[in-house]
Amino acid sequence: MLLSLIGKQMKMLLRNKQPLIILLVMPVVLITILSTALASVMNSDEQTAIQARLVLIDESNWEQEEASIVKFLEEQKVRGPALEALIQTFESNDPIRILEGSILNSEDINKYIALEKRQPAELDNIRKDKEIDGILVIPTNFRLNYIKSAYFDEHETPDMDLLLSQENGIRASIIQSVLHEWQTGFTKSLALTKVGISPDEIMQNGQTIERIEQVLQERERKIPASIYYTIGMLVMFALYIPTFLSGFALQEVQWKVYNRIILAGVSATLYAFSIFITGMIVALMQQVIILLFGKFVLGIDWIGLEGMTVIVLSYSLFVGGLSALLTTLQLRTKSDGVANIFSGLVVSIFAFLGGSFFNIGDVSSLLATIGNFTPNGATMTAILTIQKGQQLGGIWSYMFPLYGWFVLCIFLSIVLFPKRGVTS
Amino acid sequence: MLQAVDLHKKFKTKEVVRQVNMQLEAGESVGLLGPNGAGKSTTISMLSSLVMPTSGEVLWNNVSINKNPEALRKTLGVVPQEIALYPELSAKENLHFFGRIYGLKGQLLAKRTEETLQKIGLSDRKNDIVKTFSGGMKRRLNIGAALLHKPSILIMDEPTVGIDPQSRAYILDTVKQLVEEGMTLLYTSHYMEEVELLCDKIYIMDQGEIIAYGTKEQLKLLVSDNQTIELKAHLLNPQFEEALKKQLPAANVRKEDEVLLISVPKNEEPLATIFAIAAENTVTITSAIVKIPSLEDVFLHLTGRALRD
Repeated sequence: MLLSLIGKQMKMLLRNKQPLIILLVMPVVLITILSTALASVMNSDEQTAIQARLVLIDESNWEQEEASIVKFLEEQKVRGPALEALIQTFESNDPIRILEGSILNSEDINKYIALEKRQPAELDNIRKDKEIDGILVIPTNFRLNYIKSAYFDEHETPDMDLLLSQENGIRASIIQSVLHEWQTGFTKSLALTKVGISPDEIMQNGQTIERIEQVLQERERKIPASIYYTIGMLVMFALYIPTFLSGFALQEVQWKVYNRIILAGVSATLYAFSIFITGMIVALMQQVIILLFGKFVLGIDWIGLEGMTVIVLSYSLFVGGLSALLTTLQLRTKSDGVANIFSGLVVSIFAFLGGSFFNIGDVSSLLATIGNFTPNGATMTAILTIQKGQQLGGIWSYMFPLYGWFVLCIFLSIVLFPKRGVTS
Repeated sequence: MLQAVDLHKKFKTKEVVRQVNMQLEAGESVGLLGPNGAGKSTTISMLSSLVMPTSGEVLWNNVSINKNPEALRKTLGVVPQEIALYPELSAKENLHFFGRIYGLKGQLLAKRTEETLQKIGLSDRKNDIVKTFSGGMKRRLNIGAALLHKPSILIMDEPTVGIDPQSRAYILDTVKQLVEEGMTLLYTSHYMEEVELLCDKIYIMDQGEIIAYGTKEQLKLLVSDNQTIELKAHLLNPQFEEALKKQLPAANVRKEDEVLLISVPKNEEPLATIFAIAAENTVTITSAIVKIPSLEDVFLHLTGRALRD
């Protein structure tokens, strides 16, 4: 029975020109026009450099630890000119100095990482600062322990703390990759210094830059106009599906077909459920068609298929829920006013806030935040996040508002659907 | 047996149905006759469990359907006044859909669909989209959709409204055949000749109330004391009409199109008087027919208004 109801709704949709034009032709035309017209503008925006902010808190200190190092060397029976020569070697091969001076302050790396040195007492405040992408804390006696480990095998490799922000994955990744290269370098140096090779040489072999570029290439994919508008139109035009399905439901009441359905023993709940499932299927089909159009006509290489599948399915679920809700409201009010207001006003506002026409964040960060709470805006941001190369974990903060909307739609449909039938 | 007991229906402040009592026995064909707005559609909506009565109840085999309509719904076929079909689907697709929601499937569904299409004379148009059909074809399919699950009671609400005479005749033949096959029928119409043709028992409804009921013969007895004279004349003038009313005070005189209808008590012999008045008013009578009472006359007698006013 459910399949018959769904099949009938699908036929009604597919045999009407208006829904097909609005749900498929219009988005495809708009995607083509907008992505072509705005390609140059958007591509220039994409050249903006990405610079991560790294704070270095050095609780270790050469001046303070020099006395301890000298004392340690003396305990190792190193004295006189040999001691002075060793101290000089240690100082010039100090890994923190190399990190600071030769790596982070180098012209090449400086483009990607801005380094700030702060005091240990500031750590708590710095951790609260959302603009900071990473904090590297060098613990007390790091240098002494490094020397003990590297030159005398008397200590384990000393640890340091790296705190990375969850706010911006790509900037955190740049910091992580640079520090990883550096850490690998000084780990190697522990072995190589023993055979007379300077760690400075190991840590500045140019691999760090390559690594950053690799990270940027892998993790921060540029979003061209074609991708942006394909997603923007996809999330916007899916919102028209509920207006058509609820419109058909109202017609069924007006034509008295709904009475026939109720007289046949179909419960109002099953009928509403069929609208939900149909909305979900149609939304899924529409999104797949538009994504395939993007791939085969605009040449978009959709990445992160796992994430895309989760988002597209979740959005379809929401569209199904919204279809059930709009149908409920139309049948309750026995008028198409609700669907008209939704398609004429709400969709436009949601599309504007959600960033379907342009990046609303360029105008106002507050509007962008509000936009991310609209179902289409949240979905769009989630897809863009995946398309920039981020992992699935990066989308949940956007998906939860969408699930919230879905639950709200379903709850209201269950509570408000006219269960005793509807007379026109 | 389907029974309506003291049905009342109020929409906001307007009471559209008042104290309706009706009864349908198995195999019986019952007519519900009344002018537009009499409350016929609301009454059958309550009888078919689609609308809850404000008070009173509908009994199916002596069990109230107000709370448990399922038992009745399974055995009920309803033909609404509106074309309750999907215009974008073909005749066959419409019937398949309605069959499926009644639980028919596979070969049984295919067989019933073919049988129904044959019965309503649409076999050759089964694959055509309904919106391309004529009004009469849509009406026939509208009936077919209610017959697919072989109901034992058929409720038809003005099934011949707005169609050509040929289609009307086809529909009436089909319904007559169903009645002869033993179908229980409740037929509402404001065309008294349809109700007279199809129904054994008739309820006459006006302004939300049942004002009379019985067999055709019983109802006509209500006006058996009257006779109606149908008068046609050249140049009927208002003075002639006024003179008739004055000189035949017991008569009910009304004009329909170019025909003058004069209802007078049977014991009167009015023809001589009528011809005399015509001569006085220089009206030439071309025909004068003394008619047998019809349901129309019954309605007129009961309400003082014609059925189609």
